[in-house]
Amino acid sequence: MENHTNANTSAVPDGKDPSAFLSEIIGVPVTVKLHSGIIYKGSPVSSTKYSDLIDQTGELQSVDGYMNIALEKCQEYVNGQLRRTYGDAFVRGNNG
Amino acid sequence: MLFFSFFKTLTNHTITVELKNDISIRGTLKSVDQYLNIKLDDITVLDELRYPHLSSVKNIFIRGSVVRYVHLPAAEVDRGLLEDASRREAANQAGKAK
Amino acid sequence: MADAGEEEATSVSEPLDLVRLSLDEIVFVKLRGDRELKGRLHAYDSHCNVVLGDVEETIYTIEEDEEGEETVKTIKKQSEMLFVRGDSVVLISPQAPS
Repeated sequence: MENHTNANTSAVPDGKDPSAFLSEIIGVPVTVKLHSGIIYKGSPVSSTKYSDLIDQTGELQSVDGYMNIALEKCQEYVNGQLRRTYGDAFVRGNNG
Repeated sequence: MLFFSFFKTLTNHTITVELKNDISIRGTLKSVDQYLNIKLDDITVLDELRYPHLSSVKNIFIRGSVVRYVHLPAAEVDRGLLEDASRREAANQAGKAK
Repeated sequence: MADAGEEEATSVSEPLDLVRLSLDEIVFVKLRGDRELKGRLHAYDSHCNVVLGDVEETIYTIEEDEEGEETVKTIKKQSEMLFVRGDSVVLISPQAPS
């Protein structure tokens, strides 16, 4: 999973552990790539504090210890092509 | 534990287990364990022409991990009870994954 | 979840809350092996094992004709009550996708 907002990456200091990183990116637009190559982008949502910072306002609602992920306004890309959008989506963490 | 308990309520009913290798097996649910391993009696394999391997098998043990679906007798399923049990399980599990 | 009490009912503080709030609603479930399900969610647990009612399953397969042209074929199946093992689940969404 990579955080594709430059706006907020500076807020993550060096040396933070991974779970601290994960809690920092809640509420931030993210790109999630699965083993299958499918990509999920959390994408525009109406009222977040980041919405005036960036025009593509995807949002990570929450992550847990299994790396299960809840996304708002989620876009699904297969081979780089937009396939679907979901209002909300739960993505299962263990998808090896 | 929710689905373990749920499947126990379905013992002696007919279910159809679809495996991840696409084979579907219908039979009477005789027992289930915490891993959702399943024992079936009086089995028949759907699409027997394609999967003749089990044509002489009567009883079968299925490892839970190879199951894709279990088709259930809808009349035997109390939906409200399941939904309440799911909420209760969620409350018990809350925060465990954090 | 620290304050399970009043928060429990409506909020999404962990990802599975999204699934809990979909109980007794129609959900879309994406599975491994190019399969999708649409049905009413009656039960789930932390492994993403689920029970769905009035389910429509869509299976996408690629067929190759004589010229080697590949076309996507869809197969639809209905089931009135279906248990789905969590390890096949990729995604669960409360609404039908667009």
